[in-house]
Amino acid sequence: MTAYPAQAMGSERQRTAGRISRAFGASAILTMPACIVIAAGIVLPLAYMLILSVQTPDPGEATLSTDFTATSYLKFFSSPFYWNVLLKTIWVSSVTTAVCAFLGLTLAVSIWLTPPRWRGLCVLAVISPLLVSIVTRAFGWMVVLGDYGLINNVLIHLGIIATPIHMMFTNFAIVIGLVHVFLPLMTLPILTSLDRVDRNIPEAASSLGAGALTIGVKILLPMVSPGLVSGITMVFSLSMSSYILPALMGGADSGMMTTLIYQQFVVTFNWQFGAALVAVLLATSLSAVALLIFETTRRTRKWMVRP
Amino acid sequence: MIEAIQKRAFWAWSAFLYVFIVTPLICVILASFNQDSVQTVPPLQWSVRWYEEALRNQNFVRGALTSLLVATIATVVATPIGVLGAFGLWKSKSRYKAALDAFFALPIVVPGLVTGISILIVLTAADVAVGNVKLICGHVLIVLPYVIRTTLASLAQFNPSLWEAAETLGASPPQVLWKIVLPIVRPGIVAGMVFGFILSFDDVNISLFLVDARTITLPISIMSYLQFSFDPSVAAISTILIGVTFVGTLLLERLFGLKRLFEGG
Repeated sequence: MTAYPAQAMGSERQRTAGRISRAFGASAILTMPACIVIAAGIVLPLAYMLILSVQTPDPGEATLSTDFTATSYLKFFSSPFYWNVLLKTIWVSSVTTAVCAFLGLTLAVSIWLTPPRWRGLCVLAVISPLLVSIVTRAFGWMVVLGDYGLINNVLIHLGIIATPIHMMFTNFAIVIGLVHVFLPLMTLPILTSLDRVDRNIPEAASSLGAGALTIGVKILLPMVSPGLVSGITMVFSLSMSSYILPALMGGADSGMMTTLIYQQFVVTFNWQFGAALVAVLLATSLSAVALLIFETTRRTRKWMVRP
Repeated sequence: MIEAIQKRAFWAWSAFLYVFIVTPLICVILASFNQDSVQTVPPLQWSVRWYEEALRNQNFVRGALTSLLVATIATVVATPIGVLGAFGLWKSKSRYKAALDAFFALPIVVPGLVTGISILIVLTAADVAVGNVKLICGHVLIVLPYVIRTTLASLAQFNPSLWEAAETLGASPPQVLWKIVLPIVRPGIVAGMVFGFILSFDDVNISLFLVDARTITLPISIMSYLQFSFDPSVAAISTILIGVTFVGTLLLERLFGLKRLFEGG
């Protein structure tokens, strides 16, 4: 039996420690707590939920077993009712994203053209919906859009309409509410892209005879496309998964995926089916976003190689 | 001539957008000073009676205390974890640095509804039933990514020669972090804390699945109140919320700059 001299063992241990610290480094130790929190709080629960979605539906039960089944997914995809809910969710999110993109582009350009002195105030105004609780915002829109709300009051007062227009608790109200809160998430990335644009470029175009619209569409739009894509990605996926605004502004059965999910978890306690609904929702918004990013990369590459 | 009309139309359109953005918030504030119990904007008669009403509402008061407690503990727990994580990521030379950066953004990328549900499932399976504990578990995840982001953004502006200078003068890496880097990035850390606190205090998406009959947060008690009644006491409590948030926002703008907090996603 060969016994190592104590000193050799010590240096061996030191070398090992040195190797470990070189491999992982002090930075690994520093990032460890955050990694553990995110793994335990996001990754594991998400995995647990995905496994739950392929278990036999059993109201009130949340433990896992080894027999897997696709019952919940079959239930979802075999019913036209659920298909309609999914399509409506995609439709509302797409309209919200399109409106946000248009408003965000114009708003970003307007901030870009605003003198620096007023810029802080403009940005503060644009961000303000994000800083106010979602219930406050929903309530504010009820006051504005309600049958006896601001818009109807003004229109009746001016004699334009005789009876109130019903706006609250419709798809229109959902889109308005979503556009309102997600507009900053569209505007700010575009503004960041705009800030990288050399101000001489639009000026050059103008002196060569381009009108304001041509400059906006043909020169600024391609240059802000990274910001636009990042805005679209964020607004679309957040719209797909928004629950409170559709629930409060679209009435109790607004027929969105998220309201359906909430019912499964809080009312009927069919968590397995609810988990499957979450999986379908996530898969849909992820594939839409992936498609968008793939398409833009392809197009950008085409621009790059253009002579 | 056409140019001038275009220009004017564009600025009118921008003005309309700002009106669109601030109108609901201003209407909430106006509605809170209404005398009547029917919502009319602007109010026909002004009063502060709905503020008294709101402050007498036990659900609102208890909700506010719960929200305050949960947001405070979540911020206190998440801040050191986030700051250490940001330091680690900043110093990292690993080729997985970008992946780690994306990993740290996961709590922002995964929708709140999904986070709330999956935490609910796991905590139920693990038999955790104390309302406050469940809420704090969820809310740490709200605050953490923002502390990491703002700290990283401040670190990005840190002058590396200060580090070298300190080391040349004999400071160990932990000493440099504690005595040189930390004071310099402190505004970024505080900005992350303030923003995380605001988001945690206002959160509904995650909390919705973690509250129970005895433990309810302020936004959720407002939400359930809204579902069966529509009087100006909601406007009053919301106005108080707007006021508190406004102070926090001013602080953020001073410390960090609002635009930096949101750009890039």
